[in-house]
Amino acid sequence: MADYFIDVLLDEGRLKAIQEAGLGDQIKYRFAGELKLVEVHVSEDTKNKVLQEFDTARTDSRNAITDVPVAFLRELYHQVVAKKSLGDDAVLAVLEKSAEIKDLAAKESEFLPAPEID
Amino acid sequence: MSRFLIKRPLPHGGRLVERVVRDPERAKKMIKGCPTYDIKPTLHYESEVPVRNVYREIMSICYGFFSPVEGSMSQAEVERILKERRLLNEWIFPYPLVFDISKEDFKKLGVGSGDRLVLNLKGKPFAILDIEEVWEISDTEELADKTFGTPEDNPEVVREKFNKKHPGWVIYKSLNPIVLAGKYTIINEPIFRPPFDRFWYPPRKAREEFDKRGWRTVINHQTRNVPHVGHEFLMKNAAFTGDLEPCHGILVNAIIGVKRRGDYPDEAIVEGHEAVNTGGYIKNSRHLPTICLWDMRYGNPLESLLHGIIRQNMGCTHHMFGRDHAAVGEYYDKWSTQILWNEGIPSFGFPAPPTDVPYGLEIRPQNMREFSFCPTCKEMAYSETCGHEREKLSGSFLRGMVAQGVQPPSIIMRPEVFKVVVKWWKHFNYPFCNEKYVINKEKELEVDLKDL
Repeated sequence: MADYFIDVLLDEGRLKAIQEAGLGDQIKYRFAGELKLVEVHVSEDTKNKVLQEFDTARTDSRNAITDVPVAFLRELYHQVVAKKSLGDDAVLAVLEKSAEIKDLAAKESEFLPAPEID
Repeated sequence: MSRFLIKRPLPHGGRLVERVVRDPERAKKMIKGCPTYDIKPTLHYESEVPVRNVYREIMSICYGFFSPVEGSMSQAEVERILKERRLLNEWIFPYPLVFDISKEDFKKLGVGSGDRLVLNLKGKPFAILDIEEVWEISDTEELADKTFGTPEDNPEVVREKFNKKHPGWVIYKSLNPIVLAGKYTIINEPIFRPPFDRFWYPPRKAREEFDKRGWRTVINHQTRNVPHVGHEFLMKNAAFTGDLEPCHGILVNAIIGVKRRGDYPDEAIVEGHEAVNTGGYIKNSRHLPTICLWDMRYGNPLESLLHGIIRQNMGCTHHMFGRDHAAVGEYYDKWSTQILWNEGIPSFGFPAPPTDVPYGLEIRPQNMREFSFCPTCKEMAYSETCGHEREKLSGSFLRGMVAQGVQPPSIIMRPEVFKVVVKWWKHFNYPFCNEKYVINKEKELEVDLKDL
């Protein structure tokens, strides 16, 4: 049983890719089915590495790691699909790209397009 | 009248401090010939980014939020606070509050005890400090440690030694060494910029507003976040306390001050809370979002004590406290605020709760657990009454969703609140506080000043 986790939210495209990666039975339906996601499990050591690497990152009351850059979450989704894994290995693969993610995070913190809503 | 009716408490210390001169001619006479000093932000001792601006403390002191505190504290008062969390006049108070300057500035100013110093803000006269004592902080790190406690000295609630990852500890560690102690008086009232202007209810005005609305009992909700539906349910349900009937009013008091990257902008926080009542989720006539200026120290139980003081001064009868109240990291026990209000924390000077010690508070704590979505009940449910497995909700989880451009389901964030988030996202090009926001905010502050 992992100590911590990171949520990866799924839209329709991601949902399909997760199913094709054989992780369909891991999809969780939250808030009366209005939100679909998978949970990536993270060990204590890896959690500490994430918090050390990304200064906005924190853990919340659910033991979820949150407030990581959007670029981190995007890469995590790619690693989950590539490795067909919801374990620590996916997060460690993301951490290997920390420098690249930090560059992207610096840019995204200057400008992130707002969604158009009614 | 029923003996169970609760009366509005007096301000902490018995009377509201109000140190604001509203007559410009009188103000001009008061500052004639006095030396002046431009207020500077406190800069992080390593990174040199702003971590505090003393103007916010001057505002909160002079408008009475921190009654009975009247100014920058003397050395004896700071020592007493660190030892017993009491002012020299006996009333309980959690934090040292000082006007600190560098040795170079002190030398340049050439002021001493008995002098009046004019404090400029944004280049205009703002307040005066009547200096009663000049003293030196020998070791700011020691002051920071003593302010928040240590696992050795405060084993009931402190779990980790404080360090530079704690923003409150950094504020004290970053202070300048020279303290000018004495009373502050605002001589040129700042004007709040929109949207903050409509949320400015200093204690006297808040009490008058409660009278106007016929609110006898008022429960406060502390916030530094855009509200999700869990917060809304917390407010609505906590308000069922009261006396013979539920609380008449729900006061939302947002702490406005230096921001951390990743927080929501203050503008979105205050307007987000307003959207809860304009959207009708809590009736406008029962709900009042307001602000208080303060650079959060994140001192969990100690911060909750300050919150109790601020809200009692504003006229609240009740205050809701939750898990990890005003906390960051895992320095304190998750429930230390509730421990303080339930039984006290002897090592911090409270052998009994702050409401049960001499010169303590009258505001009634309402210690709450959590609301989260129950897929079985199909509604937000209270952790202590719902017997099903629930889906926990956290502000950080929501932030992650927002950052990815996913509109949160209305069951967890009201669409009216999300609209406010997007409005300010478009304004700042980013949904949360980024470096640019943090720097600009400390440059522009929340107020402007007129010429005197």
